[in-house]
Amino acid sequence: MIEVQNLKVVYPELTITFDDVTFKENAITFIKGPNGSGKTTFLKSLSKLIRYEGTITGNQDVTYNSPKPVLFHRTVLENITYPLHIRNLNVELYMEAINHFAEKLNLTPLLQKNAHKLSDGEQKKTSILRSIVFGPKILLLDEPTTSLDVESIVELTILLKELKKQMTIIIVSHDRSFIEDLHDDQIELGGNYV
Amino acid sequence: MILEGIIEAFRLLFTFNKEIYEIIFLSLALSLLSTIIASVIGVVSGIAISTNSFVGKKLLKKLIFTFMGIPPVVMGLFVLLMLIGPFDDLNLLFTFGAMLIAQTLLVIPIITGNIIISSEKTQKEVLETATTLGANKKDKMYLIIAETKPFIFMSMILGFSRAISEVGAVMLVGGNIRYKTRVMTTFIAQNNSMGEFEASIAMGMILLLLAFLIHTFLSKFRCDFYD
Repeated sequence: MIEVQNLKVVYPELTITFDDVTFKENAITFIKGPNGSGKTTFLKSLSKLIRYEGTITGNQDVTYNSPKPVLFHRTVLENITYPLHIRNLNVELYMEAINHFAEKLNLTPLLQKNAHKLSDGEQKKTSILRSIVFGPKILLLDEPTTSLDVESIVELTILLKELKKQMTIIIVSHDRSFIEDLHDDQIELGGNYV
Repeated sequence: MILEGIIEAFRLLFTFNKEIYEIIFLSLALSLLSTIIASVIGVVSGIAISTNSFVGKKLLKKLIFTFMGIPPVVMGLFVLLMLIGPFDDLNLLFTFGAMLIAQTLLVIPIITGNIIISSEKTQKEVLETATTLGANKKDKMYLIIAETKPFIFMSMILGFSRAISEVGAVMLVGGNIRYKTRVMTTFIAQNNSMGEFEASIAMGMILLLLAFLIHTFLSKFRCDFYD
């Protein structure tokens, strides 16, 4: 269980405070809220990418997937296996899982291509696959359906349903049908600005 | 006159004029060597500055950006004063070494500044992604160097352009001595002042051709990275 208490993020020009929240384990929770309500700031706090005040417990082994995919200048497969390499894990042992996920996301024919030659949607799916390949306990997805076509959203929905058995998934999205298909829980985020 | 210059360029090249080839060789050696030395210093310092937070970073960046546009003759004057002042014992004035120092000092801020400018935003995104994927400091440094490759080649191209076209600094500290420190740009400057425009046009054309070939070669590495 992830518990967030008295969360406050201070930027040079503004301060955002958040209501206390608890996230269920092995569930998919959607965070909703209008533009500028601090959803990305909230996810980045959970993933410890930014400094915050307050207490967040249970956020170990967490990975954050940004709205704009940031792929490295290498092949799709090399991007996907990057988290395995830096953990000194044997990539061969993970190939079955990689091929399984790549098949689900329709990325198999693209594995040897330069990641920067892919379409926006393909880049997005590659970045999501890279985020899950090493099996984090908590997966934070920020606008995962951006740039994805309808078929890809369906593929992602099926994959996330499978993944929630192994990890806690927190998603920021404005896509109503995607939320309806997947949600176990929803929270409305009202970041308070000071 | 331009046509005569073109004919003169071919004559100089195909008659294998020893002096001309020595000037070309010296120019290329000087520009390539200064670009390589400046690249090593500029790349390391550019990445270090853009990836670290420290007191005085803003001021240092402003100084580097200012030095990117320093007039070569001012840099030449600075090196000249150093070589006749505190470093007089080295006897470097009017030598290849003096020209190398002046050109390297001119190129370093260009490479450092360009790496800072072009990679800061990319590095922020790449570092954030690497962090969330579990990379440690060493992993991130390797990743940043790998991801900065196209910017490194681009900066090297800009640095080489500055070096090969530079005349003020090498004239001051090299002295344009025949068979010793005369390079293509000082050759052109001297022939202009003597009214020998055909020779200047000829050398200018050779200079352009060499710059084109070297840029094509360096650009190929940059393009390969994206393919």
